[in-house]
Amino acid sequence: MVLSGYEALFFWIFALAAIFAGLLTVMARNAVHSALFLISSLVSVAALFVLAGAEFIAGVQILVYVGGVMVLFLFVIMLVNVSAEESGKEEIFNNQRQVTASLIFCFLLVGGVLYAVSDGYRGLLKMHPQAEATVGEQSDAKQTTGPQNATGTSQITKDTERIGSSLYRYASLPFEIASILLLVAIIGSVMLARTLRQEASADDVDPDSLQELVASDPQLATLKAQSVLEPRSE
Amino acid sequence: MNMLNCFIPALAFLFQEADSSRVALMKKAALNPDLSKFLVIGALLFIIGVAGVLTRRNIIVIFMSIELILNAANLNFVAFSRYLQASGNVNALAGQLFTVFVIVVAAAEAAIGLGIVIALYRNKETIWVDEIDLLKW
Repeated sequence: MVLSGYEALFFWIFALAAIFAGLLTVMARNAVHSALFLISSLVSVAALFVLAGAEFIAGVQILVYVGGVMVLFLFVIMLVNVSAEESGKEEIFNNQRQVTASLIFCFLLVGGVLYAVSDGYRGLLKMHPQAEATVGEQSDAKQTTGPQNATGTSQITKDTERIGSSLYRYASLPFEIASILLLVAIIGSVMLARTLRQEASADDVDPDSLQELVASDPQLATLKAQSVLEPRSE
Repeated sequence: MNMLNCFIPALAFLFQEADSSRVALMKKAALNPDLSKFLVIGALLFIIGVAGVLTRRNIIVIFMSIELILNAANLNFVAFSRYLQASGNVNALAGQLFTVFVIVVAAAEAAIGLGIVIALYRNKETIWVDEIDLLKW
Protein backbone atom coordinates (compact mmCIF):
# COMPACT_ATOMS: atom_id res chain seq x y z
CA MET A 1 0.00 0.00 0.00
CA VAL A 2 1.56 3.22 -1.16
CA LEU A 3 -0.46 6.39 -1.32
CA SER A 4 0.53 8.95 -3.92
CA GLY A 5 -0.55 12.28 -5.34
CA TYR A 6 -3.58 13.85 -3.69
CA GLU A 7 -3.96 10.81 -1.42
CA ALA A 8 -0.55 11.55 0.08
CA LEU A 9 -1.44 15.24 0.50
CA PHE A 10 -4.68 14.42 2.28
CA PHE A 11 -2.91 11.77 4.35
CA TRP A 12 -0.51 14.34 5.78
CA ILE A 13 -3.24 16.94 6.32
CA PHE A 14 -5.45 14.56 8.26
CA ALA A 15 -2.56 12.92 10.11
CA LEU A 16 -1.33 16.30 11.37
CA ALA A 17 -4.90 17.31 12.22
CA ALA A 18 -5.43 14.09 14.19
CA ILE A 19 -2.18 14.46 16.14
CA PHE A 20 -2.59 18.14 16.96
CA ALA A 21 -6.23 17.69 17.91
CA GLY A 22 -5.14 14.79 20.14
CA LEU A 23 -2.48 16.95 21.78
CA LEU A 24 -5.01 19.72 22.40
CA THR A 25 -7.42 17.14 23.83
CA VAL A 26 -4.88 16.30 26.48
CA MET A 27 -3.78 19.88 27.12
CA ALA A 28 -7.04 21.84 26.98
CA ARG A 29 -8.05 23.37 30.28
CA ASN A 30 -11.80 23.17 29.77
CA ALA A 31 -13.26 19.66 29.51
CA VAL A 32 -15.77 20.77 26.87
CA HIS A 33 -12.90 22.02 24.71
CA SER A 34 -11.19 18.65 25.23
CA ALA A 35 -14.30 16.87 23.99
CA LEU A 36 -14.56 19.09 20.90
CA PHE A 37 -10.86 18.56 20.07
CA LEU A 38 -11.34 14.82 20.53
CA ILE A 39 -14.25 14.96 18.07
CA SER A 40 -12.05 16.64 15.46
CA SER A 41 -9.31 14.08 16.10
CA LEU A 42 -11.78 11.23 15.61
CA VAL A 43 -13.08 12.78 12.38
CA SER A 44 -9.51 13.12 11.09
CA VAL A 45 -8.82 9.48 11.90
CA ALA A 46 -12.05 8.58 10.06
CA ALA A 47 -10.64 10.41 7.02
CA LEU A 48 -7.45 8.32 7.37
CA PHE A 49 -9.68 5.23 7.39
CA VAL A 50 -11.19 6.37 4.10
CA LEU A 51 -7.67 6.81 2.67
CA ALA A 52 -6.84 3.27 3.81
CA GLY A 53 -9.86 1.93 1.94
CA ALA A 54 -12.09 1.22 4.96
CA GLU A 55 -15.14 3.34 4.17
CA PHE A 56 -17.51 1.32 6.33
CA ILE A 57 -15.27 1.66 9.38
CA ALA A 58 -15.02 5.39 8.75
CA GLY A 59 -18.80 5.68 8.69
CA VAL A 60 -19.14 3.62 11.85
CA GLN A 61 -16.47 5.75 13.49
CA ILE A 62 -18.35 8.97 12.75
CA LEU A 63 -21.79 7.57 13.61
CA VAL A 64 -20.88 5.69 16.79
CA TYR A 65 -17.98 7.70 18.20
CA VAL A 66 -18.85 11.24 17.18
CA GLY A 67 -22.61 10.80 17.13
CA GLY A 68 -23.01 8.56 20.15
CA VAL A 69 -20.07 8.32 22.51
CA MET A 70 -18.97 11.94 22.32
CA VAL A 71 -22.50 13.22 22.84
CA LEU A 72 -22.63 11.02 25.94
CA PHE A 73 -19.33 12.54 27.08
CA LEU A 74 -20.66 16.07 26.56
CA PHE A 75 -23.81 15.22 28.51
CA VAL A 76 -21.78 13.95 31.45
CA ILE A 77 -19.46 16.97 31.33
CA MET A 78 -22.48 19.26 31.54
CA LEU A 79 -23.97 17.12 34.31
CA VAL A 80 -20.93 17.10 36.60
CA ASN A 81 -19.78 20.57 35.57
CA VAL A 82 -17.35 21.75 38.18
CA SER A 83 -18.03 25.45 38.45
CA ALA A 84 -16.48 27.38 35.61
CA GLU A 85 -14.54 29.81 37.77
CA GLU A 86 -12.85 26.87 39.50
CA SER A 87 -11.65 25.42 36.22
CA GLY A 88 -9.85 28.70 35.56
CA LYS A 89 -7.37 28.45 38.39
CA GLU A 90 -7.19 24.77 39.31
CA GLU A 91 -4.15 22.84 38.16
CA ILE A 92 -5.25 20.46 35.39
CA PHE A 93 -2.26 18.12 35.57
CA ASN A 94 -1.33 15.85 38.43
CA ASN A 95 1.67 16.62 40.57
CA GLN A 96 5.12 17.06 39.07
CA ARG A 97 6.34 13.53 39.85
CA GLN A 98 3.58 11.89 37.84
CA VAL A 99 4.09 14.25 34.90
CA THR A 100 7.81 13.49 34.73
CA ALA A 101 7.19 9.74 35.08
CA SER A 102 4.69 9.81 32.23
CA LEU A 103 7.06 11.87 30.08
CA ILE A 104 9.87 9.35 30.63
CA PHE A 105 7.45 6.56 29.72
CA CYS A 106 6.40 8.44 26.59
CA PHE A 107 9.99 8.99 25.48
CA LEU A 108 10.70 5.28 25.92
CA LEU A 109 7.63 4.51 23.81
CA VAL A 110 8.71 6.97 21.11
CA GLY A 111 12.18 5.41 20.98
CA GLY A 112 10.77 1.89 20.83
CA VAL A 113 8.30 2.84 18.11
CA LEU A 114 10.98 4.51 15.99
CA TYR A 115 13.27 1.49 16.33
CA ALA A 116 10.43 -0.94 15.56
CA VAL A 117 9.20 1.00 12.54
CA SER A 118 12.61 1.55 10.99
CA ASP A 119 13.99 -1.97 11.56
CA GLY A 120 10.86 -4.09 11.74
CA TYR A 121 9.37 -2.58 8.62
CA ARG A 122 12.44 -3.57 6.64
CA GLY A 123 11.92 -7.13 7.86
CA LEU A 124 8.27 -6.98 6.81
CA LEU A 125 9.30 -5.84 3.36
CA LYS A 126 11.67 -8.81 3.14
CA MET A 127 8.74 -11.10 3.97
CA HIS A 128 6.37 -9.60 1.41
CA PRO A 129 8.64 -7.94 -1.14
CA GLN A 130 5.94 -7.69 -3.80
CA ALA A 131 3.42 -5.87 -1.62
CA GLU A 132 5.04 -2.45 -1.80
CA ALA A 133 6.28 -2.68 -5.35
CA THR A 134 3.14 -3.66 -7.19
CA VAL A 135 0.30 -2.24 -5.16
CA GLY A 136 0.04 0.98 -7.17
CA GLU A 137 -0.43 -0.80 -10.47
CA GLN A 138 -2.68 -3.41 -8.82
CA SER A 139 -5.14 -0.92 -7.38
CA ASP A 140 -5.16 1.11 -10.57
CA ALA A 141 -5.83 -1.99 -12.63
CA LYS A 142 -8.59 -3.01 -10.22
CA GLN A 143 -10.29 0.33 -10.58
CA THR A 144 -10.20 0.44 -14.37
CA THR A 145 -10.91 -3.18 -15.23
CA GLY A 146 -13.08 -4.14 -12.27
CA PRO A 147 -16.58 -5.36 -12.99
CA GLN A 148 -18.84 -2.38 -13.48
CA ASN A 149 -22.26 -2.78 -12.01
CA ALA A 150 -25.24 -1.76 -14.09
CA THR A 151 -26.59 0.37 -11.24
CA GLY A 152 -23.24 2.09 -10.81
CA THR A 153 -22.36 0.38 -7.54
CA SER A 154 -19.24 2.04 -6.22
CA GLN A 155 -16.23 0.77 -4.33
CA ILE A 156 -17.78 1.92 -1.09
CA THR A 157 -20.77 -0.38 -1.18
CA LYS A 158 -18.50 -3.22 -2.24
CA ASP A 159 -16.29 -2.69 0.78
CA THR A 160 -19.32 -2.66 3.06
CA GLU A 161 -20.68 -5.78 1.43
CA ARG A 162 -17.41 -7.64 1.89
CA ILE A 163 -17.18 -6.64 5.54
CA GLY A 164 -20.77 -7.70 6.17
CA SER A 165 -20.36 -11.11 4.59
CA SER A 166 -17.08 -11.85 6.35
CA LEU A 167 -18.51 -10.53 9.64
CA TYR A 168 -21.27 -13.12 9.54
CA ARG A 169 -19.13 -15.83 8.00
CA TYR A 170 -16.06 -15.71 10.23
CA ALA A 171 -17.12 -13.73 13.29
CA SER A 172 -20.76 -14.53 14.00
CA LEU A 173 -20.11 -15.77 17.54
CA PRO A 174 -18.07 -12.67 18.54
CA PHE A 175 -20.86 -10.62 16.95
CA GLU A 176 -23.45 -12.17 19.28
CA ILE A 177 -21.12 -11.81 22.26
CA ALA A 178 -20.69 -8.13 21.40
CA SER A 179 -24.45 -7.64 21.37
CA ILE A 180 -24.71 -9.26 24.81
CA LEU A 181 -21.88 -7.01 26.00
CA LEU A 182 -23.80 -3.96 24.84
CA LEU A 183 -26.94 -5.18 26.64
CA VAL A 184 -24.96 -5.69 29.85
CA ALA A 185 -23.44 -2.22 29.44
CA ILE A 186 -26.89 -0.64 29.08
CA ILE A 187 -28.20 -2.36 32.23
CA GLY A 188 -25.00 -1.67 34.15
CA SER A 189 -24.90 2.03 33.36
CA VAL A 190 -28.56 2.43 34.32
CA MET A 191 -27.87 0.64 37.62
CA LEU A 192 -24.78 2.75 38.29
CA ALA A 193 -26.31 6.14 37.54
CA ARG A 194 -29.36 5.78 39.81
CA THR A 195 -29.97 8.38 42.48
CA LEU A 196 -30.14 7.40 46.15
CA ARG A 197 -33.92 7.80 46.12
CA GLN A 198 -34.27 5.52 43.09
CA GLU A 199 -31.93 3.01 44.69
CA ALA A 200 -34.05 2.93 47.86
CA SER A 201 -37.29 2.52 45.95
CA ALA A 202 -35.78 -0.33 43.96
CA ASP A 203 -34.28 -2.11 46.98
CA ASP A 204 -37.26 -1.81 49.31
CA VAL A 205 -39.64 -4.73 49.28
CA ASP A 206 -43.07 -3.23 49.25
CA PRO A 207 -44.13 0.40 49.62
CA ASP A 208 -47.28 -0.55 51.59
CA SER A 209 -45.48 -2.65 54.19
CA LEU A 210 -42.79 0.02 54.43
CA GLN A 211 -45.42 2.63 55.21
CA GLU A 212 -46.91 0.43 57.94
CA LEU A 213 -43.47 -0.04 59.42
CA VAL A 214 -42.75 3.67 59.33
CA ALA A 215 -46.15 4.51 60.85
CA SER A 216 -45.54 2.13 63.77
CA ASP A 217 -42.11 3.61 64.53
CA PRO A 218 -41.67 7.41 64.24
CA GLN A 219 -37.94 7.16 64.95
CA LEU A 220 -37.48 4.97 61.93
CA ALA A 221 -39.37 7.48 59.82
CA THR A 222 -36.95 10.32 60.60
CA LEU A 223 -33.98 8.01 60.08
CA LYS A 224 -35.34 6.90 56.73
CA ALA A 225 -36.01 10.45 55.61
CA GLN A 226 -32.51 11.53 56.51
CA SER A 227 -30.71 8.67 54.85
CA VAL A 228 -32.78 8.47 51.70
CA LEU A 229 -34.05 11.87 50.80
CA GLU A 230 -31.07 14.02 51.64
CA PRO A 231 -27.77 13.76 49.81
CA ARG A 232 -25.09 12.20 51.89
CA SER A 233 -22.76 14.69 53.55
CA GLU A 234 -19.51 13.67 55.18
CA MET B 1 2.56 24.75 28.39
CA ASN B 2 5.71 23.27 29.88
CA MET B 3 4.64 19.98 28.27
CA LEU B 4 5.16 21.58 24.86
CA ASN B 5 8.80 22.28 25.71
CA CYS B 6 9.25 18.65 26.67
CA PHE B 7 8.27 17.52 23.16
CA ILE B 8 11.13 19.43 21.51
CA PRO B 9 13.77 16.74 22.36
CA ALA B 10 11.38 14.16 20.91
CA LEU B 11 11.17 16.12 17.67
CA ALA B 12 14.95 16.45 17.59
CA PHE B 13 15.21 12.69 18.07
CA LEU B 14 12.67 12.13 15.29
CA PHE B 15 14.61 14.12 12.75
CA GLN B 16 18.17 13.19 13.73
CA GLU B 17 18.31 10.67 10.92
CA ALA B 18 17.85 13.40 8.35
CA ASP B 19 21.49 13.99 7.44
CA SER B 20 22.11 15.35 3.96
CA SER B 21 22.52 12.01 2.20
CA ARG B 22 19.13 10.71 3.29
CA VAL B 23 17.06 13.85 2.84
CA ALA B 24 16.07 12.97 -0.72
CA LEU B 25 15.11 9.46 0.40
CA MET B 26 13.00 10.84 3.22
CA LYS B 27 11.34 13.33 0.89
CA LYS B 28 10.40 10.50 -1.44
CA ALA B 29 9.09 8.49 1.51
CA ALA B 30 7.04 11.47 2.72
CA LEU B 31 5.53 12.00 -0.72
CA ASN B 32 4.48 8.34 -0.84
CA PRO B 33 3.19 7.43 2.64
CA ASP B 34 3.01 3.68 3.15
CA LEU B 35 2.14 1.33 5.99
CA SER B 36 4.92 2.59 8.26
CA LYS B 37 3.55 6.17 8.16
CA PHE B 38 0.15 4.92 9.29
CA LEU B 39 1.85 3.02 12.10
CA VAL B 40 3.82 6.08 13.18
CA ILE B 41 0.66 8.21 13.27
CA GLY B 42 -1.10 5.50 15.28
CA ALA B 43 1.83 5.26 17.69
CA LEU B 44 1.90 9.03 18.21
CA LEU B 45 -1.84 9.07 18.95
CA PHE B 46 -1.30 6.17 21.37
CA ILE B 47 1.50 8.02 23.16
CA ILE B 48 -0.58 11.19 23.42
CA GLY B 49 -3.39 9.12 24.92
CA VAL B 50 -1.06 7.45 27.42
CA ALA B 51 0.30 10.84 28.46
CA GLY B 52 -3.25 12.07 28.98
CA VAL B 53 -4.20 9.05 31.11
CA LEU B 54 -1.10 9.41 33.25
CA THR B 55 -1.10 13.16 33.79
CA ARG B 56 -4.60 14.60 33.77
CA ARG B 57 -6.64 15.13 36.95
CA ASN B 58 -10.09 15.35 35.38
CA ILE B 59 -11.52 11.83 35.21
CA ILE B 60 -13.61 12.62 32.12
CA VAL B 61 -10.52 13.78 30.21
CA ILE B 62 -8.84 10.53 31.26
CA PHE B 63 -11.72 8.65 29.64
CA MET B 64 -11.30 10.72 26.50
CA SER B 65 -7.59 9.83 26.43
CA ILE B 66 -8.56 6.16 26.61
CA GLU B 67 -10.76 6.72 23.56
CA LEU B 68 -7.71 8.21 21.84
CA ILE B 69 -5.68 5.08 22.67
CA LEU B 70 -8.37 2.76 21.29
CA ASN B 71 -8.58 4.90 18.17
CA ALA B 72 -4.84 4.56 17.62
CA ALA B 73 -5.23 0.77 17.82
CA ASN B 74 -8.06 1.00 15.28
CA LEU B 75 -5.82 2.95 12.93
CA ASN B 76 -3.18 0.22 13.12
CA PHE B 77 -5.77 -2.49 12.46
CA VAL B 78 -7.12 -0.70 9.39
CA ALA B 79 -3.63 0.06 8.05
CA PHE B 80 -2.58 -3.58 8.37
CA SER B 81 -5.84 -4.68 6.76
CA ARG B 82 -5.10 -2.46 3.76
CA TYR B 83 -1.53 -3.76 3.63
CA LEU B 84 -2.70 -7.38 3.58
CA GLN B 85 -5.32 -6.58 0.95
CA ALA B 86 -2.55 -5.15 -1.21
CA SER B 87 -0.42 -8.27 -0.76
CA GLY B 88 -3.33 -10.52 -1.72
CA ASN B 89 -3.87 -12.15 1.65
CA VAL B 90 -7.05 -14.21 1.98
CA ASN B 91 -8.03 -13.08 5.46
CA ALA B 92 -7.27 -9.43 4.81
CA LEU B 93 -10.54 -8.07 6.20
CA ALA B 94 -9.85 -9.43 9.71
CA GLY B 95 -8.37 -6.08 10.72
CA GLN B 96 -11.53 -4.21 9.80
CA LEU B 97 -13.68 -6.80 11.59
CA PHE B 98 -11.56 -6.37 14.70
CA THR B 99 -11.99 -2.61 14.44
CA VAL B 100 -15.76 -3.02 14.56
CA PHE B 101 -15.45 -5.00 17.78
CA VAL B 102 -13.05 -2.48 19.28
CA ILE B 103 -15.59 0.26 18.59
CA VAL B 104 -18.31 -1.83 20.27
CA VAL B 105 -16.16 -2.37 23.35
CA ALA B 106 -15.26 1.33 23.43
CA ALA B 107 -18.93 2.29 23.38
CA ALA B 108 -19.71 -0.12 26.23
CA GLU B 109 -16.69 1.11 28.19
CA ALA B 110 -17.73 4.74 27.77
CA ALA B 111 -21.28 4.02 28.94
CA ILE B 112 -20.15 2.11 32.06
CA GLY B 113 -17.32 4.53 32.83
CA LEU B 114 -19.52 7.58 32.62
CA GLY B 115 -22.11 5.86 34.82
CA ILE B 116 -19.35 5.33 37.37
CA VAL B 117 -18.34 8.98 37.04
CA ILE B 118 -21.89 10.13 37.76
CA ALA B 119 -22.19 7.83 40.79
CA LEU B 120 -18.79 9.02 42.03
CA TYR B 121 -19.69 12.66 41.60
CA ARG B 122 -22.95 12.13 43.47
CA ASN B 123 -21.09 10.64 46.44
CA LYS B 124 -17.78 12.50 46.51
CA GLU B 125 -18.70 15.83 44.84
CA THR B 126 -15.45 15.83 42.88
CA ILE B 127 -14.08 14.60 39.56
CA TRP B 128 -10.39 15.23 40.33
CA VAL B 129 -8.75 11.82 40.51
CA ASP B 130 -6.21 12.85 43.16
CA GLU B 131 -9.03 13.66 45.59
CA ILE B 132 -10.67 10.25 45.11
CA ASP B 133 -8.32 8.30 47.38
CA LEU B 134 -10.55 6.01 49.44
CA LEU B 135 -8.39 2.97 48.70
CA LYS B 136 -5.13 4.80 49.40
CA TRP B 137 -3.46 4.34 52.80
